[in-house]
Parts: sequence; C-alpha cells; structure tokens
Amino acid sequence: MKKYRNLVLLSAIILLLFSVVCVSLAVGKFPITVEGLILGNEMMGRVFLTLRLPRTMVAVIGGFALGIAGSVFQTVFHNPLAAPDMIGVSSGASAGAAFAILFASGTVFSVGLASFIGGLAAVIVTLLLSGAVKNGGKASIVLAGIAVHSLCQTVLMFLKTAADPERELASIEYWIMGALNGVSLKNSYVNMIICVVSVLPIFLLSRQIIMLSNSEDEAKMLGVPVNKMRFVVLIFATLAVTSTVSVTGIISFVGLLAPHAAALMTKKVDSFTLLLSGLCGSILLTVADVFSRSLASSELPVSIFTSLIGAPFLVWLLWRERRRA
Amino acid sequence: MKRIIALLLCLSMLFSLCACAGDKDNGKDTTSETEAETVDLSKYETKYPLTITDHLDREVVIEAKPEKLVSAYYISTSVVIALGLENKLVGIEAKADTRNIYKHAAPDIIELPSVGTAKNFDVEGCAALNPDLVIIPVKLSGVIEQLEALGITVLAVNPESSEELIQTIAMISKATDTFYRGSSVITEMTRALAKLGERISDVEEKPTVYLASNSALLSTAGAAMYQNTLIENAGCVNVAKDITDTYWAEVSYEQLLTWNPDYIVLASDSEYTVESVLVDENLAALDAVKNNRVIKLPGDIESWDSPVPGSFVGSLWLASQIHAKEYSVVECNSVMVKFYKEYYGFTPELFE
Repeated sequence: MKKYRNLVLLSAIILLLFSVVCVSLAVGKFPITVEGLILGNEMMGRVFLTLRLPRTMVAVIGGFALGIAGSVFQTVFHNPLAAPDMIGVSSGASAGAAFAILFASGTVFSVGLASFIGGLAAVIVTLLLSGAVKNGGKASIVLAGIAVHSLCQTVLMFLKTAADPERELASIEYWIMGALNGVSLKNSYVNMIICVVSVLPIFLLSRQIIMLSNSEDEAKMLGVPVNKMRFVVLIFATLAVTSTVSVTGIISFVGLLAPHAAALMTKKVDSFTLLLSGLCGSILLTVADVFSRSLASSELPVSIFTSLIGAPFLVWLLWRERRRA
Repeated sequence: MKRIIALLLCLSMLFSLCACAGDKDNGKDTTSETEAETVDLSKYETKYPLTITDHLDREVVIEAKPEKLVSAYYISTSVVIALGLENKLVGIEAKADTRNIYKHAAPDIIELPSVGTAKNFDVEGCAALNPDLVIIPVKLSGVIEQLEALGITVLAVNPESSEELIQTIAMISKATDTFYRGSSVITEMTRALAKLGERISDVEEKPTVYLASNSALLSTAGAAMYQNTLIENAGCVNVAKDITDTYWAEVSYEQLLTWNPDYIVLASDSEYTVESVLVDENLAALDAVKNNRVIKLPGDIESWDSPVPGSFVGSLWLASQIHAKEYSVVECNSVMVKFYKEYYGFTPELFE
C-alpha cells in the first residue's frame, strides 16, 4: 500500500513537472511554433536550441539542485530552517559576483566564475573553521557559518559602496535578485554538468544522510563516520547550489520551501523525500521563470515569483495538514 | 519633430515665465541670433530677493546673489560649468574623478570636498562648506529639511527629460544671475536639434535602434527614459519604446532577436565592448550584427545618454552615423566644437 501511494505521488509530481516544462518551452518573447520547428525554420530552431531549451533546463536542473540541497541541509542539521545560505553559500557567491562586476568588467563568464569560487570558498572556510574547533560538530559548523556569512556580507557591502550607483550597483542588485534572462547553451552547460554530477552522490549517500539526521551517537554506532560524512555531503550540496546560482544569481525560497513541501506530502524523511524535494524545486523554479519572462514587457527578477508562489503554497500545505489533524 | 516643437514651446514659455520672476518687460522674442546679439542685457539680470519654484514645487527664496555653490548631482554640476560658474563651486558630488567633462572643462573641481552620492548625502560636510546655494537632485529630497534647518538655501532639480533639463538650466541660471548665458545654452541646444530635425524629416523609413545600458547588453531603456529622446531626436525608432519601466529594464536574448533592430547602440560608459556583442553567438542572427552595425556612443567628453546640456550632441552624432547622407559627421563636429568651446572652454577631439 505504502509503495503504491509513493508511486502515485511520484507520477503525479512528474506529470506536473512535465506539463510545466512544456509551458516553459512554449512561452517566450520570440515566436516559436511546433510547426515551424518541424518544418525546419532555421531561426526558430536556433532560438529553441540555444536559448529556450537551455533556459528551461537550467530552471529544472537548478530548481532540483536547490530543492535537494535544502533537504540535505535540513536533514543534516536537523533544523527546519537550515539552508545552504546558513553556511555562507549565497553571500559568498554574491560577494564573488560583485567583485567580478566591479573589477573584472562584469562579463557573464567572469561573474559566473567569481560567484562560483566565492560560494565554494565561503563554505570551505566555514567547514575548515569548524574543523579547527575540537569536536567539529553541528553547532560549530553553524557558528562558523554565521561568522563567514557576516564576513561575506561585509565584503559585499563594501563592494556596493565602492560601486558606481548608475552602473555597477544596479548590476549587483539585479544579480542578487536572480534572473534567467541571460542563460544560453554556451554559458550554462558546464554548470549544469557540475550540478548533475554533484547531485548524484547525494542520492548514493542518501541512507547515510538520513542517519545523520538521527542523534550523532546513534549514527556512530551504526558505523557512520559522522564528521567526515557531513563534510562530504555538505560539499556536494554546496557544489550543486553554487553551480546553479553562478548562472542565475541568487534565488530565494526554493531551498527552504521544496523540502517542506516534500516532507508534508510524504510525512517522513527518507530518500524518496529527497527526490521529491528536488522535483518540487524544479516545478517551483520553472513556474517562477515562466512568470518572470511573460508578465511584463521587460524581464522581472525570478526571486519575486519563487517567494510569491512558494509562500502561499506552503501556507496551504500547513493549513491542510492542520485540518486533517 | 513633435518633440522639437515641444522644446521650442517650452523655451518660449520659459522666457515669459522667468521674466515674470522680477522683470518688467517680457514681450520680445529673443530666440533669433541677430536680436540675441543686440539684446539689452539688463533684461536678463536677476533681481534679488528672487523666488523660484523648483522641481519639487517648492517656493525657494534666494536672498542675494549666491557666491558659494554646492552641486550634488553630476548633471547639475555640468550645468554649473556650462554657465561658467565652476569657480563658485565649493563642493560637489562623490566620484567626480570619473567624469571626463570635469577633466576637460574644470579640472580644479575634482579636488573639491565631496558631499556624497545621490543615495548618501553628507549634511554636516555640506554645512561645513557654508554654501549660499545647494543644488540637489529630487532623489535627495529627504535632506532638504535638515539643510534648511541649518539655514542653507536648497534648490531641487530633476533633469530626467529634455524639458526638465531646459527648466533646470533656466532655474540655475536665474538663481545665479547668469540667465543670459543659460538662455544661450538652451537656444544652442534647441537650434541644433531643430536643424537636425529638418535634415532628416525626409527620411521615410526610420531605422530601429536598440540601446544597451552601461551595465549590461540585455538591459535597455523604454519610452519613459531620456535615452528614448536621444534616439528619436536622431531620427530613429527605439525598439524598446513599448517598455514602461522608468529605469533600465532587463530583457532576454529572445526579446532582442524578436525586435531584430537595424542598429545596436551601446551607452557611453558601457564596460563591455562592441566586439563582445559582435562575437556573441546568441546574437549572430541579428541584422545589426550581420551588417556590423553595432556602435558605441562616445563617452570621452561626457555621457551623452544622460540629460546633460551637451547631450544633444549625442543625437547629432548618432544621426551622423545612421543618416550620414542627410547629416554629415563634419557638421556634427562643427556644432560640437562650437558648443564645448563656448560653454565649457575646451576643444574636443573631432570624430572621423
């Protein structure tokens, strides 16, 4: 019965994702028709393959990565509010992006690379700091994360102050709000490969991740090298998130909402919930991106819609939960 | 063309308006050259105390001719230089060293104390300079109360369109008793644009232009922005004119491909290059890229895509690039040199 229920749930979610992807492929400023694509209209084909399809792929893969990373963090830290931002991923990435906008002429490549390095560096520093403390447990990671996060925010603030308000400051602000308007095949495929490659080990390690959510002593008794495992899992989750945000800019709320939505649907924490939170993330980001490119004559920041759609959905799930209880 | 008529209307209204601010005689048309030369200068003299309505609709009373000025916005600073008042400045906005026009026309003011940016104004620092008149952009309206409490006279200006630029020049010149010079600046601007308008009035199909912002190629200006005026004055159509944003709007590659503009123009201070646009694979299908019609607005003198007094030269330059047959670059050069020599005191480099 239980397996049956999971299967139904999974097929429903996948069906929903599939329809959302179809909408995303169909909606956009450049007129693309199925007929034109079949008849081999060169321009339509090119726009579809180099822009529309990559943009949708980034939304699906990136949303998946954000969702699953959020789930990993909440599980590992045993905290419903935990998110990659907590250990400095997004503030590190923002500081990196701002640095590139200010000092490396702000090309897509330099901003992407600098934000990737920034986010990864912030997390590595956090984990090293926490390792330098004697036992290197959960609490020390959180504390080190807070320190690194504030440090990155200070660097970001400093860079913003130095920025020209007419030019660079606007770019930094836009980057922090997140957008998929600059995504093309060329500037995103490397990141998406990194993203997929870092998500795979998370699935392979899902059993150990679930064990980490129990008490540490229990996990140790079950033979899990707790600290090492935590380190490895967090690095993979971080890689998945940074490779996404370095293409899109900061995307808020997906990492927080998707795991909760998944957990409310399955009512427990297992590897199926991990998969489900990834899929919820994909749906949320894809829908948000469709809105951000089609509601106005110009492009709107995607974070507006991830929050705008996500928050009521979460409230609805909670409300439903309460009514059942 | 409509816009130029509107400008001329504005100009004539201004003369009558400002004349009301204290003068007796306001009947004569002063726009024609011959008259301007023989004109009775006393008519342009400002009588103090003077009451001016600024861009926040405040009645500002200026008791005596201001000798110490502070300008907190690069556009008003450029106006102050055009009026020949740079020696009266005692403080200016932050990041003055990034403005090319200061280096050419008034290198001394770069060293002046900074009173902060449009987001972060230094009230105490400004008060310490003991200015007679502080000119601020309306974005800074929050500091007016504090400054006035310290007994400092504040004039708020909002030069964000050509009409407002003209009003700004008129206000500042009237307040500082340089109204004759201010009027000549305005006349010079409107006359050059009217002449350009005549030349290109026969062009039947206006080419389309996509103007990319300083910060990124995929960021552009809609109809509400000054950049739209710049493009229209040059006899072109802004592909983004239907965008309603009042600030730079983000667009996608797809949108740009759909518009398929005849020309792509990069803003004066853009940090990315024409080459980077030409080699961008996502843009290879655009006519502008195929025909090598990607150009960058010159920024060596000042950012002509912002409403500074010299911005009309930006339209002239753009027209000389796009409508070379109707309006030559030689003509653009001569107007530019005359303008900057007369009002900014330096000779700019000629365009080829």
